[in-house]
Amino acid sequence: MMNLGPLTIDLILCGLTFGVLSVDLALPHGRKRALGYLTAVLLAGLFVVSFFIDVSGSALSGAYQGDAWVLFFKRFALVAGVFVSLGAVDYVDRHFPTRQGEFWVLMLFTLLGMTLLPGARDLLLLIVCFELMGLPLVVLASFAKSEDKTGPGQFAPEAGLKLYLVSSVSTAITLYGVSIIYGLSGTTKLAELGGVGVSPMLFVGLAFALAGMGFKIGAVPFHMWVPDTYQGTSTPFVSFLSVAPKATGFAALAAVLILGFAHQKAAWAPLVLFVLVTSIFFGNLFALAQKDLKRLLAYSGIAQVGYMMIGLLTADAYGMGMLLFYIAGYLVTNMGAFLVLHAVAPNRSTITLDDVRGLSRRSPRLALALLLFLLSLAGIPFVVGFWAKLYVFMAAYRAGYTWLVLYGALMAIVALFYYLQIAKAAYMEEPTDAEPIRVDGSLDAVVMACMALVVVMGLYPSPFLQGAMAAARALFG
Amino acid sequence: MELTHYLLLAAALFSLGLYGVASRPNAVGLLASIELMANAVNLNLVAFSRFQGQQTGQIFALFATAITVAEVVVGLALVIVLFRSRGDVRLDLAKELKG
Repeated sequence: MMNLGPLTIDLILCGLTFGVLSVDLALPHGRKRALGYLTAVLLAGLFVVSFFIDVSGSALSGAYQGDAWVLFFKRFALVAGVFVSLGAVDYVDRHFPTRQGEFWVLMLFTLLGMTLLPGARDLLLLIVCFELMGLPLVVLASFAKSEDKTGPGQFAPEAGLKLYLVSSVSTAITLYGVSIIYGLSGTTKLAELGGVGVSPMLFVGLAFALAGMGFKIGAVPFHMWVPDTYQGTSTPFVSFLSVAPKATGFAALAAVLILGFAHQKAAWAPLVLFVLVTSIFFGNLFALAQKDLKRLLAYSGIAQVGYMMIGLLTADAYGMGMLLFYIAGYLVTNMGAFLVLHAVAPNRSTITLDDVRGLSRRSPRLALALLLFLLSLAGIPFVVGFWAKLYVFMAAYRAGYTWLVLYGALMAIVALFYYLQIAKAAYMEEPTDAEPIRVDGSLDAVVMACMALVVVMGLYPSPFLQGAMAAARALFG
Repeated sequence: MELTHYLLLAAALFSLGLYGVASRPNAVGLLASIELMANAVNLNLVAFSRFQGQQTGQIFALFATAITVAEVVVGLALVIVLFRSRGDVRLDLAKELKG
């Protein structure tokens, strides 16, 4: 009998996916809005269940491993799924009333890829999970098709195609790198990869594998798709796309670099350092020039990925723990920020500074939420982003990269400029349209939940930090 | 035939595909270029597998083929969507998003 215990959550999620698909068939037109709520409730239920079952151990002949590290990513994906289903349910109901079932099923499939991938301990399973995550995301990005030429679907085909091209080319590049790694080590098991010596060929293989994954997390110099896709696709979906796949990308990078090639750190550390430094630099630089807020947040996200990579660079339990804490904080902050933008302009894919101008008079609650999210992204004390930045800097300092701390802090000051520009428009300028904003109930609830978490994690970071550290220690056995 | 010959052929195929991705103005040509890159990977995997006398690489190539097929299906669907919305599949015209 095969031991499938470590895969319990994923198997349940797979069952739920087909369950939602069947319910979609049974529901008459006009009542399909319930599917969004159903998805949210099921995912929330699974999140609660994850605290009561034991998913540790090895499965599939050692190709799959369940531990605290993997469980962190599973819960992360489930929370992101709950937030996006509640945040997007109204949008999906208004714009694709007959196709809602497909939207949620695709969302569940991509979540399945995300929960499976961190546990993969074999390159083959890793690649398959990556695709299971990536392909539904492409379909979701172009979901609006061309039904409304002026609405949010206006740019969806182009945005979707750009994401598709980047996604498939990066898969091909990753696979090419992986094929070379396989050729050198003669195995696809991560734990046995490390036996090979450092050679130019290994360097090429690692560089290709890293380049492909760099595309997925949207790091410089593989970031070109990020702003275009964010601008062109629906805002609630972007809130998900900007957070969840990045976490999974980091899980994949950690699997290859730390579980596979920890002893060859000298070969990959310069690559990671280069990507990290350029991501922070160009992300912040390009963000300064943006007029479109989704493009601005896209570039700011590129810079944030740079900060997260510091954890990867240190390649120790402390650094990885800080990476997990950073990304957990980033989940609530960035999703919240995009969902506020969605609440402000629910029928457009392009959102500019004019839309948030005078927000404090049109909706004081949304304005406060936006302010807190921006402060958190900038790293101002007493919201979660401050601790996140502080702790990755501490990880860098402990690992001996003192100059990186100074560089990161300097670039954070540059970032302050464009974040506060938005806050200034929201609070200190006259609204162009004085009408109060009406927000859908569940979207409002998610924004408030994100805001509450940003504040709670900012005031009491220690339980979250301990959780992140425990998860990271599991990675190092 | 030595392993190196296969690897060089695969590297040439991969580079051709990459060049095609960067230079093709037509979406269908782009998909074909991506396919070329995927086949270079398969050639690599099968060659390594053959010369090391084990099957892992061949199984990997099967999975890689399945992944590529799934990708092309999504890609062609997207091309159809693009064609319906603007009557053309030239990508150099798809430049509405910038800033």
